[in-house]
Amino acid sequence: MAQEAHEGRLKVPRKIVIIGAHAAGVDAASAARKTDRKAEISLMTKQKRPGYSPCGIPYVLGGQIPSFDDLVVFPPSYFRTMKLDLRLETTATSINTEAKTVEIEDKKGKKETLEYDSLILATGAYPFVPPIKGREKQGVYVVRTIEDGQRIDEALKTAESAAVIGAGVIGLETAVAFVERGVKTTVAELLPYVLPAMLDKDMADMVQGMLEKKGLRIIVGHGADEFLGKDKVTGVSVAGETIPADLVVVATGVRTNVELAKNAGIALGETRAIKVNMRMETSVKDVYAAGDCAESVHMVTQRPALPQLGTTAVKQAKVAGINAAGGYAVFPGVLGSAVTKLFDIEIGVVGLNEFFAGRAGIETVAGTISSKTKADYYPGALPIRIKIVVEKESERVIGGQIIGGEAVTQRVNALSFAIQKQMTVRELAKADTAYAPPLNETWEPMILAAEIAIRRL
Amino acid sequence: MVKVDDYEVPEGLYYHEEYGWARIEDGKARIGITDYAQRQLREIVFVELPSAGDTLKQNEPFGTVESVKAVSDLVAPLSGTIEEVSEEVQNKPETLNEDPYDKGWLLIISPSNLDEELKALMDFEKAVEWHKKLMKEG
Repeated sequence: MAQEAHEGRLKVPRKIVIIGAHAAGVDAASAARKTDRKAEISLMTKQKRPGYSPCGIPYVLGGQIPSFDDLVVFPPSYFRTMKLDLRLETTATSINTEAKTVEIEDKKGKKETLEYDSLILATGAYPFVPPIKGREKQGVYVVRTIEDGQRIDEALKTAESAAVIGAGVIGLETAVAFVERGVKTTVAELLPYVLPAMLDKDMADMVQGMLEKKGLRIIVGHGADEFLGKDKVTGVSVAGETIPADLVVVATGVRTNVELAKNAGIALGETRAIKVNMRMETSVKDVYAAGDCAESVHMVTQRPALPQLGTTAVKQAKVAGINAAGGYAVFPGVLGSAVTKLFDIEIGVVGLNEFFAGRAGIETVAGTISSKTKADYYPGALPIRIKIVVEKESERVIGGQIIGGEAVTQRVNALSFAIQKQMTVRELAKADTAYAPPLNETWEPMILAAEIAIRRL
Repeated sequence: MVKVDDYEVPEGLYYHEEYGWARIEDGKARIGITDYAQRQLREIVFVELPSAGDTLKQNEPFGTVESVKAVSDLVAPLSGTIEEVSEEVQNKPETLNEDPYDKGWLLIISPSNLDEELKALMDFEKAVEWHKKLMKEG
C-alpha cells in the first residue's frame, strides 16, 4: 500500500493542502480523510462561508428555497467532525512546487507558509463580464456567491423590471426566478438561440416558445450594447432598443481561476483550464486539480472538455482526494450530462448535440419524437420530447436532448449510461423498458426516438 | 433526557468530548456515539469495530464509523477489555442513526480504571452545556 510506504518512510502525518473549500475542495478533503485517517488536511476559501451550493441560488431568488442559509451543505461542525483545518477568508498567494509550500494570507493580512506533501487546486471559476459600456454601474450583478444572491434578492424587493444578459442555464434560471417574483424580465442572448451550450436550435426554439408563454421576454441574436443610467442602471440597450431594467444580471459564462497555477508553472490545457491526467494529477508532481478549474476528457470526442458542472466537480474531487492521500482512483471523463428546471419545464442534455458533433467533425443522424410521460389516457400525462443523436458510421448513440413536464433527469441518466457504454442506436431500440399507465407509455419515448434515428441511417 | 437544539442528551450517561458516551451497568460499561455525532455523519454505511477480548485505552481510537460523505474515528471514552461487540450495528449500520443511545450501542467493556477515568468524562449537566457550546459554534 502506498499509504503504508509513505508512513514507513516519513513517520509523520501526510500534509494535504487544498486551495478551495466549495464543491470540489470539500469533497476532495472528505475523500482524502476517508483514505488517510491521520493526514493533516487544510483547506481554505476566500469566501466567508465554505461548502455551500451556488447552484441553488436561483431557487432562493425564486422562493422555492426559503433562505440562503439552506444552501450550506457542509456546516462548521462537519469540518470539526472530520478534523479538517478550515481557513475562511484566506487567499493562497503563491505556490512553490520545489519547496512544496503554499503562501497564504488571511483577511487581516496575516501571512503564513503551509508545507504540503500533496496539494489540490480547487480554485474554481469566476463569472466573466464582457466589456459592455456601463458595466460598473450600480444594479449590475453576477450570480456566483451567496453574497451575489443576497444583493440581487435585496434589489428585487423594489424592482419592477429586470434584464438578464445571457440565455445559458444560469441566465435562464435567474430570469425565471425574477418572473416568479413578479418582476417584468427580458433576456438578451448574443447567439441565435437559448441554451446554446446544451441544445440544438430545434429543441432550443421549443424551450424559448414555452418560456415566452410564461411571460419571459427573450431576445436572441443580440447581446447588450450598453447599460444605461446615471450611477444606477435604469435600462439596457439591445439592438437599438432600450429595455427598462431596475437591475441587470450578467450571466455570460465563467472563466477558470488559474493564475495561481500558471504562476507556479503548472500547465494549462487547450480549454485554458488546468491540464490533468486520469488521476487528476497536474503537470507538476504531487499537485492535483479538481472542479471548475480542471480539464476533463470528453468520452465521445476524446478531446479536452470543460463542462464546469457541480457533478463533474465532486467526481473529480473524490479522485483527486483519494490520490492525494496515497490511494488510487481514476476519473474516466465527462459527457456533460446536465438538467435544469425552468418554470414547470424540465430540460436535459447528455453527450454531443448535432451542432457540437459537427464542430468536432462527427457526422450524425438524429431521431426526435414527442410523446407523453404517462399512458396517453392517464390523467395528468405531460408532454415529453426526446432527440437522440447518433454517429453515422458506428451507429453509436453520442447524445441526447430532452424537454418534458417530468421524468427528464433519469432519462438523461439512462442515455448517459448508454453513451458511456458505447451502445449503438439499434441496441438502444431493443432495450427492455418498464411501463405502467401512471408512470410511462407502453413504448418508452427513448426507444421511439431511437427507431426514428435508425430509419435515417 | 433533554434536547439541545433538537439533539438528544439523555441523563445517566457519561460523555466524552470525541462524541462518545458510556453507560455504567453492574461494573461494566456500554459504549456508543452521541446523537450529535450520528447527525453530523448523516447516513452511516459502515462501522468498523474491534473484537471481544481486545483492549481499549481511554482517548484512543478503537474503530471507525463511515457515512456517505464523512468518516470519523471512534474514540474510547474509557479503558478496558471488550466483553461484547454489537453485531446489530455491524450488520445494520443505520441503527446508529436510528437509535444511537439504545439499539445503536457499540461495545460492552470491563473497565480497568473506571473511578479515575470517569473524572475526565462529562456528566449530564456538563454534557448539556457542552452541546449548547457546539450549537453556538455551528
